Parts: sequence; C-alpha cells; structure tokens
Amino acid sequence: MGIADSKTVPKREARLDAIETFGGPLRDLVKHPGGGCLINCRRSFSQTCNCQMGLSLSMLNTMPDIVIIKHGPVGCGNSSQNDKNFTSGLRARDIKVRPLIWASTNLNENDIINGGEKKLREAIISLDRLHRPAAIVVLTTCAPSIIGDDADDVVEKARAETSAKVLLVRCEGFRTKISAMGYDDVYHAILKGLDLEDQREEDLLARRVDNEEFLWRRDYEAQRTINVFNAFSVGRPDELEIERLLNALDLKVNFYPNFAHPDAFRRITRAALNVGLCPTHDDYFLQYLEERYGMPYFIGEMPLGLSNTAVWLQELGRRLGREKEAALLVAQEEELLQKGLDLYRPLLRGKKVFITGGEIRVVVTAMLLEELGCELVGLRGHHYDLFGPHVYGKLLENHADLEVNIATTQTFELANLLKRAKPDLVFAHGGSGVVAAKMGVPVVPVFSQGQYYFGYSGAFSIARRAAKALQNPAYFRNLQANTRLPYKKEWFGRSPFDYIRKE
Amino acid sequence: MSQNYVERPRFSCALGGALETITSLPGVAPVIHAASGCGGNLFGAQQAGGLYGAGYCGGLSMPSSNVAENEIIFGGVERLTEQIESTLELVDARLLFIVTGCMTDIIGDDLRAAINPCLGRGTDILALHTGGFRGNSYKGYDLTLQTLFTEYTVKTVRTQADLVNVWGLAPAHDPFFRGDLENVKHLLALLGLRANTFFTYDETLSNLKNAGAARLNIVLSPVNGLGAAAAFQEKHGVPAIVVDLPIGAGAAERFLYTIAAALGLEKKIAAKAVGAEKDRYYRYIERVSDSYTDMDLQQYFLTVANSTYAAPLTRCLAEDFGWLPELTVVTDLLDEDEQEKVRAGFRDFRFTPAPRLVFETDASQIQRHFTGAQRPYRQERYYDAPAPLFVLGSSQEAELATRLGAKYLSVSYPLNDRAVLSCGYAGFRGGLRLFEDLLYALIGR
Repeated sequence: MGIADSKTVPKREARLDAIETFGGPLRDLVKHPGGGCLINCRRSFSQTCNCQMGLSLSMLNTMPDIVIIKHGPVGCGNSSQNDKNFTSGLRARDIKVRPLIWASTNLNENDIINGGEKKLREAIISLDRLHRPAAIVVLTTCAPSIIGDDADDVVEKARAETSAKVLLVRCEGFRTKISAMGYDDVYHAILKGLDLEDQREEDLLARRVDNEEFLWRRDYEAQRTINVFNAFSVGRPDELEIERLLNALDLKVNFYPNFAHPDAFRRITRAALNVGLCPTHDDYFLQYLEERYGMPYFIGEMPLGLSNTAVWLQELGRRLGREKEAALLVAQEEELLQKGLDLYRPLLRGKKVFITGGEIRVVVTAMLLEELGCELVGLRGHHYDLFGPHVYGKLLENHADLEVNIATTQTFELANLLKRAKPDLVFAHGGSGVVAAKMGVPVVPVFSQGQYYFGYSGAFSIARRAAKALQNPAYFRNLQANTRLPYKKEWFGRSPFDYIRKE
Repeated sequence: MSQNYVERPRFSCALGGALETITSLPGVAPVIHAASGCGGNLFGAQQAGGLYGAGYCGGLSMPSSNVAENEIIFGGVERLTEQIESTLELVDARLLFIVTGCMTDIIGDDLRAAINPCLGRGTDILALHTGGFRGNSYKGYDLTLQTLFTEYTVKTVRTQADLVNVWGLAPAHDPFFRGDLENVKHLLALLGLRANTFFTYDETLSNLKNAGAARLNIVLSPVNGLGAAAAFQEKHGVPAIVVDLPIGAGAAERFLYTIAAALGLEKKIAAKAVGAEKDRYYRYIERVSDSYTDMDLQQYFLTVANSTYAAPLTRCLAEDFGWLPELTVVTDLLDEDEQEKVRAGFRDFRFTPAPRLVFETDASQIQRHFTGAQRPYRQERYYDAPAPLFVLGSSQEAELATRLGAKYLSVSYPLNDRAVLSCGYAGFRGGLRLFEDLLYALIGR
C-alpha cells in the first residue's frame, strides 16, 4: 500500500525505529539500527518540550496566502503569537509581507460534551469568505480527537463550499513522542490536498498541435532543475548559499516546502531530483514523490562544514552528470574558505564544545567544529532513528566513548551533562540555550534564520560567531553568578541518565 | 466576531494562564499533567508578553508527565504520581503546583489519588484542573490565585492594619505586570502601607502564605482576579476593592484618595503623598513642554488592549496628555456582565468625550471598526478626519497603523517588537515613562 492510500500517517517509532530516550557512550548508540531495542526506554522524570503540532506549525507558519485553523481549545498552537519568523522570512524572499492569519475554534466545556464539528465547519466557511486564501489548513488537536470529532468528514464536506483548497493535518500531540512526525503530518496533508501537477497546463497542451518545441524546452528545463527541501531551521541566507553552489553547477533550484505558495506545488514534479537538506524533515514526502511520480530523491548528510558539504556536492554531481564540475567547485570553495577560517583558528583551537539540537544537525556541526580545531566534549540529539547510524558512525573512530544523550530538550539532563563536560562553548537549539547561559557558558544557536549556517558561507559564519561568543563571555558569566538552575545540588552528583527506565 | 472561532486570539488557555502565574511566583514549580507539547507551546505564547522568558523553573524546565497514547487509554494517574515523586527528588521548590491539560481532564484522571502518596515530604503540593477548554488564560490566572488563596494562604485572626494585597494583572498577558505592580506598591507605600503583590522580586512565598493578615484586597482589573477576590473574602474574611489600574498622574491621584478612604486613613496623608509625587511629575513634564508645544504633538488615537488596560490607558492619554480618543477596542472574550464592568471605566471623561468602545477579538476586524465609523468623504474641499492619528495596541496593530498612516506604540499582548523588563505605566512614575515612550514613537522614528 502506498503512502497516499493511507488515511493516517504511520508513527515514526514504527516507520523509522525512532527513539527519544537514550544516554550512554556513542559506541552503544550506533550499535542499534535506528532506535531498535532502545525503543522501550522512557523517563520517570520528564520536562515539557513540544509535540507534533508544534513542528507541523513550524512548516505551516511559513506558507504564504493560507489561513490556519487550530481545531481545539484556544491554547493549542498559541505559540504562533509571534509571527516574526514568518514576516521576516517573507521580507527576505521579496514576498509581500502580511501577518500570519490563524484562528482557533476555541472549544469550551460545552463543545467537549457536544462535539466541535459544527464550529469547525463554520470557521472554515467564514474564514474562506473573509480572507479568500489560496488554502485553509485545519490542524486537529488532542481534545477533539479524544471526543471523536470527525474532522475528515467536516473538511471533505467543506471543500464543496470553499474557494480555498482545504487541507487537514492530524497532529494530536499525545499520539507520538517523536514530535518530528509533525513534518510527515503536514506532508500528508499536502500530498492529499494540493495539486502536485499543473493540470491546467496539461489540458491546454492537449488542445494544441504544434507543442513539440514547448515540450522539448520544458523537459530540458526540468532536467536541469532540482527541488531543494528547506526547513524551519533553514533561513533565507542558507537557501541563497545552496542556490549559489548549485547555480555554479548549472542547476536551477526551487525551494519547498517552507515559504512556497500553495499553488507553487503544481510545479514540484517538474524537476530532475528532489534533495532533502535535513533527513529529519522530508523523507516521507520524497518517498511519496518517487512512488507516485517516479522522481528520484537524495537525502544526504546536511551540506554543512567542509567535509559534509564536499560529500554532498560531489554526490549531487555524480547523480546529475556534473562530477568534474562539482570537484572543481569544491576545490575552489575550500581554498577560499580556508583563508577565511584561518582568521579564527587560533581562537578556536582546543576549545571544548558541546552541541545540543536536531538529530543530524548536531553531528555535522560537531564535524565542522572539529575541522576548526575545537574539541568535542558532548553531543545530544532530539531523537534518533534510521538516519542516525550512518552519520553518528562518522564520529566513532575518535569518539567511541563520548557520552551521547538522545532527548527532546529535557534540560535537566542537559544541565547535568554540561556540569560534567565543562565546555567553553555550547551550540544549542532554541529553548535549551538558556540552561548553558545560566551555567556561564557562551552559547551560539544551532540555527538562526537570519544568518548563514550551511555550505561554505555557513562554515565561515559559524566560525566567526563562535569566535565572537568566546571573545566576551561577560553576559553569561554575570548570569551564572546571579541566577540558579531549579535542581537540587544532589542532582549534579548523579548520572545524567538516572531517570531513564527500561521497560 | 464569530461564535465559532477566534481569529488570532490574544489569550491562551486556562493551562497557559496557570503556568504563567505559577512560574512567575518565587520558589514554586509547576508539574504539568498533559502531553509533551502543551508546556512548550504555551511557553511560546508566554514569550509574546514582551519576551517574558522561563525564569527559575519555567519554559522548557517545567516538569511534565508527557502522557502519550498509553496513558490516554489506560489512565495517567500512576504516571503522574511517578512524575511528582521524581520532581520532589530533583527540583528545588517549596511548593509544587500540579496542573492538567485537556487530554488528562477529559479522561478523568483523579488528581487527589495521584498526589496522596506524595504528601508529607516537606514540600507543599497543590493541584488544579486547567484543561484548556475550561477557559482562557485570564481564567487560568484567576483559578490559580483562587487555589493559592484558599489552600496555601494561612488562615489568621490577626489583621495587620498596614497590610494590603494587590492583584489583577496576569503575568505575560499583562506584559507590564511587574513594573506596574512595583509602581502600585510604591504608591501604597506613600500611604504608609505594605503591599503583597506576590510577583514582584522583593517578595517571597511567605508574602503569599501570610496574605490572610491583610486589611484589604485591591483588584486592579474590572474582570480579572474577581473570582480570587471572592474566594479570598470567603476564606479569610478580607474585603476587596476593585479599582482601575492607576495609569498616569490623574489616575494615581484618584487611586491614592480612594484607597485612603477605603481604609479610613486621614485625607491629609493622601494629600501629602499626592503633592510630593505630583510636584516631581510636573517638574519633568515642564522640561519637555517647550518641545511638546512647539512641535504640536497632540494626536487622535486608537487603543487596542485587554479589559484591564483599555480604560485606564485611554483615560491617561485623554485626561493627562490631552490627546483625542477615537476608538478603544477591547480584545477579550467577555460575557454581558463583564462587558458592562469594562464600560464603567469609560464613563465621565474629563475635558473630552470618551471614545467609542468596541469588543472585538479578531485582529482583522479592527480596521473595519475604525473606518466604518468615519463619515464618508463626499468630495468636499475641507474634510474633518482624525489626523494625526496614533495607534496603541499589540504588535499585531503595527500593520493596522501602517495602513492607517499612523504612528504606533506597542503596549498590549502579543508584544513581540519590544522587550519589557521593569517598565510599567502605573503611577506617576509610570505616567512619565508612558509619555517618554509616546514621544519616542512620535519623534524617534
């Protein structure tokens, strides 16, 4: 059975052997293909983090010309209060800046008893008339799912009455502990609800006789066009860097899914290759595009840092018949970059770094920092799955005993690990950095949409920002001296993994 | 405004309000009994209160049972007990406050049963059902205070004549709550009163514990915190007075006389306090008046704010600064009775008529309320329009201001374009700060 035939999205626990609970040496983690037998671990103490709805929103909150309806009590998805990432992302891409439009069906006690289907239906119809968006995206939350609202039915029926396409994202938080499944949920809604081919163009062509030249040109363009799949953590500067490198290989680039207009998905099938920048993000959709449209795809390690960018470009070159060009480009870029990095090597040499964030990003960041002369003293990924062993394996040779933690934030484990590792610098995902900051350690965010992170410009930017953070740690030292973490002293004498239980 | 949805609501749910309240108190840690995303998502909403972050045990440090399918099917009581026990072991807090999400409320997890095995270990534990469908974040704030006042504040027969309690500002959703409470505390000190606000950084949990000895409770909002006032009075016998948040000099003066009268203090104590503060206030205003006058900075203005801020903010600009209020939009979802209480704040404006008052939750409807009330332009050579126009609202109103060609100051939730630390607009001092911010918005950009 293919992906599109299924009503629901399979859980990543099953589909990718994903886990979010592990603590121990790297050699033990990579023994397992994906999470494998670690899948039954859990925590007897845990902290709040996110759910698949949050990660669904990280994609949807970038889509121009849509209205998002959160079907649930008013707090669900309320993190969208800040739409700065959306507006600045639009500005960076020269798209007309509009506020993010979202609504909540605001389910109250009465709705929990009597059901919220009517409210949802009315919300879809009213917001379609009011805003006339290209698409309306409905997200379902825990409460309506438990009380049995049939959102599929409501959406199906509403479609007959709206000018907008209506998409349904089922992302109830309690369904999975692997919140990255939210990406699959959105892609599932996209592949079910948006046009992935330009039917209007096909219809027009069918009526023309002399369309050979047009078709020839279209195929030629498609052969040299690739789709690159971005993510919340990939800002416009990163897109520009990727585009610069691929243009140098005489390739045209379209970016999906973030900041792509719903109508732009019609052209998605007109490309030679789909490339996912982040293995955590796109495999579900890229598999679908291969299955349904025969489009090949490539999900490598992130093109970040010297070695990984080189491997990534060479692999693309190999797949698209541009091997020589890719090798030349890599050589040229590396030569230029080395001169830039030399500015910061003296400052970074021997500095102990600790990295916490997304599964793959932390490893490729670690590899770059090692290339810069830093010493890796700790690593933690938000989850671990079938994409893990290959990239984590790259660290095995030098770091088999490195203490690795798999945890979706769980900042108490982070605090304990930092106390032991005593890093000079921490690279942290949003929300976790403040823990290191309160421990007096300078922090660089593992992503920041306004700055370069990927490719050669990214390597330079990371080196520069690491050096910048190290040059004046005053803010962090002052914070450490005057604040404290919410844990008892004894915690720091125990193993950071003491609350991990095997069932 | 629709009955079926709220567009870009400026409030989160009961759980959100409870968490903002709990994590703003000293020495208190929450334990969330909900799925893993509730706390993190609601923390995102909290940060929209002027970059109001995690603090001691908020944000991604908040303990949470992170229930999943298994607990939804088989019940989550056991998991919650385990989470409370491990939290007691690990987290350094004097008080644990258990709060629930929709999913654990719907499946009916018994909080008492979960907590009982964890009692008697030297840490107080409170619990409250805060499933998001029970109300919005202001309700969560009120319910949390009710629980604290009835179950944590100690019953005492000894009243302290100079002690009062002050509340009504919801952390984060009233982004200036810390500065405002400090400023109100300063005003009360001028009357020789000590005030518990529970949230200012000079206080500890003892202030909350011993709040029962107060003579009077002062609620600074016409709608938020009233449930807590009733519960307080019932348990501790302390009466409450509901007053508008005293934003600016005129309101601060009225506030001092009102509180003095309520406590039976001699009028001259209030008069002395007012005199000194007002004198200081007008020495500052005097110095900026050259420029203010020469530049003709008087504006028509539009206010978009919650029930607590809307009236006193509008009144301050109208009565203290002489600006012209066109329209005030209250963005809370209120019942008839509550709307009436908010309306009361707009009676009897001095000098100039009160603005039109609209209750509207949906951001995209606000412009309609403004333009809809303007007299249509009929090709007259001379046309009376409210210009120059100034907008005070949330960061959502930046777009509205741009469309209306108005200058703009963000003052209400969500506040994403400015950081709020100790700034507050209450009191004489707050009035000066507000005037500074308005002038910066007018001449600085």
